[in-house]
Amino acid sequence: MTRIRLNGKEIDADKDRPLIAAALANGVDVPHYCYHSGLTPVGSCRMCQVEVTEGERPARVVAACRTPVSEGMQVETQTPAAQAARRECLEFLLKNHPLDCAICDKAGECQLQDYTYAEGQSEGLSAEPRRKLDKRRSLGEVILLDQERCILCSRCVRFFEEVEGQAQLTIAGRGANSTIQTFAGRDLSGNYQGNVADLCPVGALTLKSFRFQARVWNLTKRASTCGECSRGCAISVEVLRQGQVKRIRPRYEALVNRWWMCDTGRFAFEGATLSGRLEGAQLRGYSGLEDCSTSEALAAVATGFAVHTNHVFIASPWLTVEEGRDLVELAQAVGAVLRMVSPEESGLADKILNTGDPCPNRRGLADVGIESASAPECLQLCTGAETATLVGERVVNLVGREALSEHDGKSRLFVFDTQALDAARVAVQVGVASWVERSGTWVNADGHESPIAAARSAPAGVCGTQGLLDDLRALVATCAPGSVSR
Amino acid sequence: MSAPELYLLERAGREGSETLSVYHGSGGYKALEKVLKTPLTQAEVISEVREAGLRGRGGAGFPTGLKWSFMPDHEKDSRKRYMVVNADESEPGTCKDRVLMREDPHGLIEGCLIAAFAMRIDAVYIYVRGEYRKPYNRLQAAIDEARAAGLVGDAIMGSEFSCEIHMHKGAGAYICGEETGLMESLEGKRGHPRPKPPFPAGVGLWGQPTTVNNVESIFNVPFIIDRGATWFARLGSEESRGNFLCGISGHVERPGVYEVPLGTPAREILEDYAGGIWKGRSLKAWFPGGSSTGLLPPDLIDTPMEHDSIKAIGSMFGTGAMIILDETACTVRASEVLARFYDHESCGQCSQCREGTEWLHQIFRRIEEGGGSMEDIANLERLAMGMAPGKTICALADAAAIPTLAVIKHFKNELVAHVEQGCCPLKANTARAQEVRV
Repeated sequence: MTRIRLNGKEIDADKDRPLIAAALANGVDVPHYCYHSGLTPVGSCRMCQVEVTEGERPARVVAACRTPVSEGMQVETQTPAAQAARRECLEFLLKNHPLDCAICDKAGECQLQDYTYAEGQSEGLSAEPRRKLDKRRSLGEVILLDQERCILCSRCVRFFEEVEGQAQLTIAGRGANSTIQTFAGRDLSGNYQGNVADLCPVGALTLKSFRFQARVWNLTKRASTCGECSRGCAISVEVLRQGQVKRIRPRYEALVNRWWMCDTGRFAFEGATLSGRLEGAQLRGYSGLEDCSTSEALAAVATGFAVHTNHVFIASPWLTVEEGRDLVELAQAVGAVLRMVSPEESGLADKILNTGDPCPNRRGLADVGIESASAPECLQLCTGAETATLVGERVVNLVGREALSEHDGKSRLFVFDTQALDAARVAVQVGVASWVERSGTWVNADGHESPIAAARSAPAGVCGTQGLLDDLRALVATCAPGSVSR
Repeated sequence: MSAPELYLLERAGREGSETLSVYHGSGGYKALEKVLKTPLTQAEVISEVREAGLRGRGGAGFPTGLKWSFMPDHEKDSRKRYMVVNADESEPGTCKDRVLMREDPHGLIEGCLIAAFAMRIDAVYIYVRGEYRKPYNRLQAAIDEARAAGLVGDAIMGSEFSCEIHMHKGAGAYICGEETGLMESLEGKRGHPRPKPPFPAGVGLWGQPTTVNNVESIFNVPFIIDRGATWFARLGSEESRGNFLCGISGHVERPGVYEVPLGTPAREILEDYAGGIWKGRSLKAWFPGGSSTGLLPPDLIDTPMEHDSIKAIGSMFGTGAMIILDETACTVRASEVLARFYDHESCGQCSQCREGTEWLHQIFRRIEEGGGSMEDIANLERLAMGMAPGKTICALADAAAIPTLAVIKHFKNELVAHVEQGCCPLKANTARAQEVRV
């Protein structure tokens, strides 16, 4: 650690990291484009200029991202010289920028826009025509490049080289003719392409899936955890007014995913807004499954527990630790066998983030005492028991939708899933909230606890799993075995 | 004109000057022999070069011996180390290294070997400008010849010192003459200059300690070792010692590369060496050391050509390549041509340089074509101030900004005349003259 003076305040700075890292860590925003904590600093945008005084040497303006800290260094970010240097830098960056903020998806979270408001001038000096380049170049299925907006910070180039481990982008051309290109015009590949849209400080690299979908200031952002694998990347779930999830982005979490996430997780929101939701509850009557109230459905389930013996509970790996704990208590009260259905490896495992295990809370559920079982084992348990209760989103699909529909065992199925199961053996089914609609805790493969948060409300008539389980347990307590006749 | 002592071009132009036999015949490889057979220690060689006061001839004028001493102590740092000779001579107006490599390649090889010995280096890379085919071929032939004679490779002259010299051909980018851009290029990457620190002596070629020297700097070394630091220190001026190769071009009677003691007044070089302004015309403007140094007006032509004096009048000694413009030349047109060069050669990393060099070019072109405004002149100055000094990774932005500021400082009248007359006054005069003649 090195002591330096930053804007008149003594701070400790890591001597192995550049000056800008110390400033950012201490809450002093130094405008920057090419610098990113997760990438090698290149010092090319020249935006992070600050004034530095060392010993007897006269004050000088330096790029904070390429300046090492030294003991006793005095740093001022807001002197006239530093501000002028950054203002001049913006003048150059904006010279050929199209200023099409009105139709740019990045507007509202664009660093060029933000710093121009904060430090730039309202009128540019340039009388030259702006450079005309390709405004919509597809770089594959995920990313679209607008070359006119690009400020050539090379973050995206370095991301593929340093994080993904394989160079996929490069700067082609020289000087004012430089553009970002893929090698030989090939499409981007791999499961991490979406990250470059987050990294891009301007609107040059955007997600095709987010193109013209929402203005970012209309998005409500909730910190949550990705449910696509057992890594449990920290994410921000971003919801538009009507409750549609428009985007999922990684959140910085030092112990888990740092700044990144894979595209499998990023685009999981397309599944989170799935159609065909089971809204409300259904109970089997004389003419098949009939709509009923949730309390009627739960009463029927409790009755089922009381009049039958030999129960099986199958938990979804998406259940939270809190839900898991409730389910364990309920299983004990009923005397049921409880297993978490464990799907096969996704085949998406890589050396970066994705673990290939699609169960976000395997570890958390194991910690509360729920053992895992493969889908065939779960199916066998279900068909062999008198009642089988399937709890949590995607549980039916994981055990096997078709196998459950076709099974000719005698067991009654009580289903608590997001989607309906249309099968003869279903006695009761209740719609439950998905992982973007409820709150709780997941524990990732390394034992790191992270919160999931309701980013939007569940459809009308759909209840949270935990509430359902609580109600069910209360009912089970009142309906002791044998107290209800068949 | 008194006859100064010459050594740099002693052999140049002689029949077979590029061959080992002629080089040997005129005392070649004597300095290397002195180093290896005496034997001198590494520290002795470095201190001899330091005492001589040799300043780098590549443009910055940094003391060569001091640069060598920045290499890490070999006992504390056992990493592999390299020496790179910058022969990517691309500065407009500069053509001195070409002469040395073409006419006296063994002189460079001997210098490389002595420098490599002093810094405990066993691999030297010579990065030659791609267009220099003949110098490249001659240098390569000389290396082969020297290797056959046991002067390059293992156990040189039977000593414990081994050193290999590799050649590399540039591909035509000016920016690869910047030392860190050169190293990137040598590593097979795009020639993007690296931010400093770290400096090459710590993290250079392939991340190893590296020293980068100019051809002419290295060429001086055998003479210093052979004839001694005191001999060298007698030549030139107090602060800039030795002779230098002045490539003088432009509107002069005898353009060419001349060996001149440092400190010789620019007027003497112009008049006595280059035969004065051609066609009996008068001097309008001159660049002291290549296109990146600020344009100067005629009244400063008596300034001694050496680093500190030229710096004192607001320009730079650079590579010592004087470019002379006569009275018929338009400084705005000259600035436009230079701005186009820097626009074309900017690597594009730094915002100011990428956009600024293009911008300067656009404005100069507009003014020269007669469409400029007073606002354009003000903007030229603002832009140049925004680009330099030291605001970018390397000095290319400075190189574009310095001549711009210089032309505004010394030749603003001409810029204003372009704006007011709506055309280039010199072209207008010619046109009017033709009209009158008709």
